[in-house]
Amino acid sequence: MVNVMKGVLVECDPAMKQFLLHLDETLALGRKFILQDLDETHLFISADIVETLQARVDDLMDQLSIPVHDKGL
Amino acid sequence: MSESSKSKSSLNLNPSPTLQCKDLHEYLKSRSPQFLETLYNYPTICLAVYRELPELARHFVIRLLFVEQPVPQAVVTSWVSQTYAKEQSKACEALSELSVWQEAPIPGGMPGWMLAQSFKKNLKVALLGGGRPWSMSSSLEPDGKARDIAFLDAYALERWECVLHYMVGSAQTEGISADAVRILLHAGLMTRDADDGSAVITRAGFQFLLLSTAKQVWLFLQHYLHTAEKRSLSAAECLAFLYQLSFSTLGKDYSTEGMSNNMLVFLQHLREFGLVYQRKRKAGRFYPTRLALNIARVRGSAPCAGLVPQPPQQQQGYIVVETNYRVYAYTQTNLQVALLGLFTELIYRFPNLVVGVLTRESVRAALRGGITAQQILHYLNQHSHPQMLNSETGGIRATSVLPPTVVDQIRLWETERNRFTYTEGVVYNHFLSQADFAVLRDYAKSQGVLTWHSERGRTMVVTRAGHDDVKRYWKKHSKS
Repeated sequence: MVNVMKGVLVECDPAMKQFLLHLDETLALGRKFILQDLDETHLFISADIVETLQARVDDLMDQLSIPVHDKGL
Repeated sequence: MSESSKSKSSLNLNPSPTLQCKDLHEYLKSRSPQFLETLYNYPTICLAVYRELPELARHFVIRLLFVEQPVPQAVVTSWVSQTYAKEQSKACEALSELSVWQEAPIPGGMPGWMLAQSFKKNLKVALLGGGRPWSMSSSLEPDGKARDIAFLDAYALERWECVLHYMVGSAQTEGISADAVRILLHAGLMTRDADDGSAVITRAGFQFLLLSTAKQVWLFLQHYLHTAEKRSLSAAECLAFLYQLSFSTLGKDYSTEGMSNNMLVFLQHLREFGLVYQRKRKAGRFYPTRLALNIARVRGSAPCAGLVPQPPQQQQGYIVVETNYRVYAYTQTNLQVALLGLFTELIYRFPNLVVGVLTRESVRAALRGGITAQQILHYLNQHSHPQMLNSETGGIRATSVLPPTVVDQIRLWETERNRFTYTEGVVYNHFLSQADFAVLRDYAKSQGVLTWHSERGRTMVVTRAGHDDVKRYWKKHSKS
């Protein structure tokens, strides 16, 4: 029998995929959201988590960035 | 740009879609066939539409113009060699979308094409003459106080900037009419503040400010036409008049004689926005300005420099961008400062100079507001100081006068927000046999709905739109 699931296919680089797996494992978004781990760069996740996830990734990028230029105040 | 179109096809994942600026073709396409039918009663519109058609489509129109019966579609196809089938189908599509031609059966059952009656009649008028004279073409005695082109340019710019100033809420303007405010509100460029009911600019409004002037005017007028009906103006009549204006000569005066009352009202509105100049309301004559003339030239990303009205002191850009992300803007107007403030962090303000810096936060705030990196770069490029042209960039300058580091970084900041691509879809797994999987995968592939598949895991993902079709196929397959 064939199994069918609805959701959202996410394509990203391997590093970001690991981050998503981490979020999933640690229940950082309150619950598990990865429906299926497809391959190195693809994941299948539930559709209703997308917005929360985007905000979370934005946060991560904020933490990662270092101001490179001199404001010269 | 491509990113925004991609996300449209899936979920509404991009919360602030980029402001759409349709050209004439797209605008007309979105209107009802009845509206187009009315429009084609005006020769000017027919000519404008004709000029905007793809080259091949124009060719078809001319070949069909004097044929009084439907022409078999096969014949039309035979006019173009097989090598250009793609261009041909594009041309045919454009003609159908704009209801320039209609399908008409030919005795014998073959499908044929026939130009729309009113379009045919009025394009002939436009090309060959005849019909009623254009209302504004009646001859005039020479104007005692004739205005030259420089004056008209300055006037148009000043009027238009009034609208823009109002949008950024700067205090140095006299304000604009209630009608204009209503259009801005209707267009979603501004919105009523919840607290005191005053109009405040929206995200779309900020994007609007970064567009080129020609695009701004056209977008604004599109919304004007939308609201025109409410003010008992006919959108078709207004559009026809606008195109009549766009075919007129800069620096020449035209008579208001013979214009209907509605059109006189419309003329007063155009006067307010600087599309036409009138010394007095009852002067009986008006001068179209460059803003009006440029309506027909919205197409294409960058307008020719000479076509945008610019007073002498602005002929040159005023922005200097340095490799250390600093931005120096030699300007005194609040409008330009406000625009710059959309995506830079302003540090100093001097009487004739503003210093800011492009930071990740400031650019991201702009991106979040729906402004694209392309728009920011385009704006900086368009207004870059002549000094920038002389500066050495080590021979790696490609198409831009901006420092490559800054260009790249702004683009990187944009792509950083899009590290994921989301596609709504349905996953199929747990296939019992490899053969079953292969059958379904090949079917999905042939339908163009397969987004991902893995042989080993016997797993495939199809798009949401293709799911029903694939499911139906699978049911049929598994029964047999």
